[in-house]
Amino acid sequence: MITMLLRVLGHECAGPVRRTVALMAATAIAEGLSYALLVPVLRALFGSEPGDAWPWLLGFGAAVAGFAALRYVADRSGFRAGTTLLHGMYYRLGDHLARLPIGWYRPGRIGEVSVLVSQGVLQAMSVIAHLLAPYISASVTPLVIVAVMLTFNWQLGLAALIAVPVVAVIQARTGRATTATDTERVARERAATGRVIEYLQAQPVLRAGGRTAERFELLDDSLADLQQASRRATFAALPGVLGLAVTVQAAFTSLLALGAYLAVGGDLGAAELLAVLVLAARCADPLLSLAELGGSLRAARAELVRLDEVLRTEPLPEPPEPRQPAGHGVEFDAVTFRHGDRTVADGVSLSVPDGQRLAVVGPSGAGKSTLLQLLARFYDVDAGAVRVGGVDVREMVAADLMARIAIVFQDVYLFDGTIEDNVRLGRPDATEAEVRDAAAAARLDEVVERLPGGWSAHVGEGGTLLSGGERQRVAIARALLKDAPIVLLDEVTSALDPVSEAAVHAGIERLMAGRTVVMVAHRMRTVRRADQVAFLDGGRIVEQGSHDELLRLGGRYAGYWDLTQVVQY
Amino acid sequence: MTPTTTPLLRPYARGFAAVVGLQVIGAVAALAPLLAVVELGRTLLAPGPADHGHVRNVVIAGAAGLFVQLLFTAASSGVGHLLDTRVQLALRRQLAASLGRVPIGWLSRRRSGELAKLVGEDVSAVHPVIAHTPGEMVSAFVVPLISLVYLFTVDWRLTLVTLIPVLLAVALVPLMMTPTRLREQKEFDAAMGRISASVVEFVQGIAVVKAFGGADRAHRKFRTAVDDFTRSFYAMVRGLAGIAAGMQVVLSPPFVLLTVLVGGAWRITGGGLAAADLLPFLLLGLGLTAPVAALGHGFDDLQTARRAVGRIQDVLAEPPLPEPARPVPPQGHRVELRDVRFGYEADREVLRGVDLVLEPGTVTAVVGPSGSGKSTLVQLLPRFFDPDHGSVLLGGVDLRDVGSRELYRRVSFVFQDVRLLRASVADNIALAVPHADRDAVIRSARLAHIHDRILELPRGYDAVIGDDARLSGGEAQRISLARALLADAPVLVLDEATAFADPQTEAAVREALMLTRGERTTLVIAHRMETIADANTVVMLRDGEIVERGTPAELLAQGGEFAGFWRLHADVTEGEETR
Repeated sequence: MITMLLRVLGHECAGPVRRTVALMAATAIAEGLSYALLVPVLRALFGSEPGDAWPWLLGFGAAVAGFAALRYVADRSGFRAGTTLLHGMYYRLGDHLARLPIGWYRPGRIGEVSVLVSQGVLQAMSVIAHLLAPYISASVTPLVIVAVMLTFNWQLGLAALIAVPVVAVIQARTGRATTATDTERVARERAATGRVIEYLQAQPVLRAGGRTAERFELLDDSLADLQQASRRATFAALPGVLGLAVTVQAAFTSLLALGAYLAVGGDLGAAELLAVLVLAARCADPLLSLAELGGSLRAARAELVRLDEVLRTEPLPEPPEPRQPAGHGVEFDAVTFRHGDRTVADGVSLSVPDGQRLAVVGPSGAGKSTLLQLLARFYDVDAGAVRVGGVDVREMVAADLMARIAIVFQDVYLFDGTIEDNVRLGRPDATEAEVRDAAAAARLDEVVERLPGGWSAHVGEGGTLLSGGERQRVAIARALLKDAPIVLLDEVTSALDPVSEAAVHAGIERLMAGRTVVMVAHRMRTVRRADQVAFLDGGRIVEQGSHDELLRLGGRYAGYWDLTQVVQY
Repeated sequence: MTPTTTPLLRPYARGFAAVVGLQVIGAVAALAPLLAVVELGRTLLAPGPADHGHVRNVVIAGAAGLFVQLLFTAASSGVGHLLDTRVQLALRRQLAASLGRVPIGWLSRRRSGELAKLVGEDVSAVHPVIAHTPGEMVSAFVVPLISLVYLFTVDWRLTLVTLIPVLLAVALVPLMMTPTRLREQKEFDAAMGRISASVVEFVQGIAVVKAFGGADRAHRKFRTAVDDFTRSFYAMVRGLAGIAAGMQVVLSPPFVLLTVLVGGAWRITGGGLAAADLLPFLLLGLGLTAPVAALGHGFDDLQTARRAVGRIQDVLAEPPLPEPARPVPPQGHRVELRDVRFGYEADREVLRGVDLVLEPGTVTAVVGPSGSGKSTLVQLLPRFFDPDHGSVLLGGVDLRDVGSRELYRRVSFVFQDVRLLRASVADNIALAVPHADRDAVIRSARLAHIHDRILELPRGYDAVIGDDARLSGGEAQRISLARALLADAPVLVLDEATAFADPQTEAAVREALMLTRGERTTLVIAHRMETIADANTVVMLRDGEIVERGTPAELLAQGGEFAGFWRLHADVTEGEETR
């Protein structure tokens, strides 16, 4: 646990954490040792001269004061370490997330990571802050108490000592047993969540089929599976909890019986026996709480493991000696790229001279968007090279590369800020007039006029308060403002209705004018204006040439062209 | 729990009572061994030789108490956990049933992930309340109360002394509630909200930010938020640390024992207390601090569970799509919108009096700028929402009087991103027609131009999507087209933006719809000029009102808004031709 904690936190935090843990352990030891003074105190009180107890009580008081002081210091140290940890953790995550390739941020992952970072970190930290001290004290104090018992009466001490390895073994085994069933439960939970999402998204079809929740077996089965897995997890944890209770109680019972036997036989003074039994009773509660504390700490550990996974994802390497590209031509040189076990680009070679336009066409899933993403270095290629101005993108500083590229995607993500903030992202130091100009060219001014609040209208989380066409205009204005020499367009107009399409057309034209353009498109009309067309299927270039050449070729592209021309309702 | 949450959990009250009852018996039995120690002490400390038989009985009684405790607490925990899994399953089923009845429009305005979290995590939040709270409550309140009563019967003065640590702890509480402390707490809560928000913003926006080279700026902003957060965290902790540590020490076993011993020594040396009577205080006194410790914890789990159950309750209380008491079967499938007004919010109408008739066998194309209300208009047909004013009629019957099953049999629509189920291809196609035979499934797959592709899959029609088969977006769309063709609803609502993943799919959709056209009533949000040109009727929408309608030729001749937009488009196209 501590090792994992330290790995996730980084080694600059190791010092404070180690010191805190040491202080907590010292506090627990001090607590255990202070109980040793109970024996002489009780001996005096139960004897004929109870007044003799006062000096011992004074000593006990001093020990308690020492314990209190240690505890205060440990708490302070814990809080300080906690703050440092929290700060360090966020910084580490922030630094790391900023360096991860954009390709890593798939839609599903964005949600996962933002939950992990916003809630997971706090959860893991607060569990550690609240549970680490009780856990250490619950395991260390009883050990010290057993040692104290041993010094006063070896038989009773030995009887208590036998319980120690048993408790340790049970703790370890419970951990292992529950880890397996917990993993299964988490898997079932994920499966059930998937089914719930399916169920929600398929509602209309399901309703048409008369399938209510009870009659949609896929969902109901997964909910029942989840219950079964929870049951199994409960039963798996049961032996541990019971075993711990049995052990602790058996130990107490044997101390009670053995002690009574020794005392009746006269081998042990009543005061010693009673002191030992009071101490034994003192051990029971913390030991029993170990089971629960262990479970909570394991949960926190799972959170840490997830954080660790994120932190161990390799960012794209930065070049040791960055190079500056010459010109704005773009080149794919025998590029191969795999996503998992799927080859998304398979030996693609293409070159777009400075100022020319390349259109990439093909069936969905052919790998078209991936080419754009490789160019913007969302990912690195597995073989071959992607070059900008003759320089491999891997030899350029990331910020340098991005400064040369403006991208307009099909799905536009906007910040929950004003429209102006979102446009300004293209070039934060742009003048008022430049922003207005870009907006006008993208026909965003119409949108702004209509919205209550105008330029300072908020767009909502992810831009959901705007329609698809309106978001697209923001993205185009943003790209126009950026004024980068290379423009990447990913199915920019395919989600737009004809009215919006006509409206943004001029904006897109202006965006493309005089720049190197790589666009993915379905609309054949857009495609035919390109200097060059590449038809992609299964990650390979099937045909390549100008629109007219490809039509004359009469191959796949020509077939596509015919499809869009001929078929009508 | 609050009164509002009780009805939800009422069916389980008896099980819950059993959990609590078993726990109480177990906890009380746990006092037996402690009392056995007390009795042993009395016997041994009494003058004269100890009675061996009595000592043996005391030891046996203590051991028996331990055994009873073990038995009952284990039973309580077992029953509690099993009850918990049953409650969770029942809540999830209720939620699923309820989500299957709410208006689809209600669903479409929420994120699926959010609702999935409700069914998953929020339901799981009841776990500690059912499985762990009874035990915690009993040991925090029942046991201390019994102990306290017993201790008073032994010696009331020493009992009061034993309570000193508790009183000290309670006295420290107001110090945690001073205006400064409360302000710090409030600042911390606010900072916590801010850091969460900036994490979400940072992570969600990073792809965009990086693409525009603003990563450094966003990163700095995030770091500033972190600095702010840790500063307020530290301020709060520093303010509370002293008091919290004081409280911890006061409630700690060494301090409690010290208090009891000092009090005991005072009473014993004063001759007011038999030495053996000190034992119960040493053994039970520690338990008296439990309630304060529990209150300090604030019952965090209970709070979390209460919020979660509140959210669950909200969804369960969501009124289902009103179903007619006596459904009226529609006569034919002419669709008519009469003076339809609708707004998502009270003061912002999206549709402002729409009259429209869709004749069977015709295609009506809706065009208009974004934000004109097109999506809202088409969503009224499958009854995502009911109009605020006016009505939508199908075959002469108000949609509100058509049962929802009947409605979805007659109206199918393709305007959301297609998501296939992790089930066999055949099941996916037959989703709306569960009892369709394989031949019918294959027939519609052929029509949707996806049959050959399905045969290429490892197990053909039995291939499980997601496990055996990964399909491209266009292929998934053709499967969903096959689904729609099999359902063969006489009214079809279509958004071309989402229906056309690639030219191949577009061709398949167009061809299939043309072949099966017959008497179908089609309403389409048109994205292709070809679609518009071929429509029987074109409706131009602006700001929630129909501004022009007619055949494409009529509208062009009118020279209005549609004609203007058509020409703009033609210019764009011609410009391309001349290049």
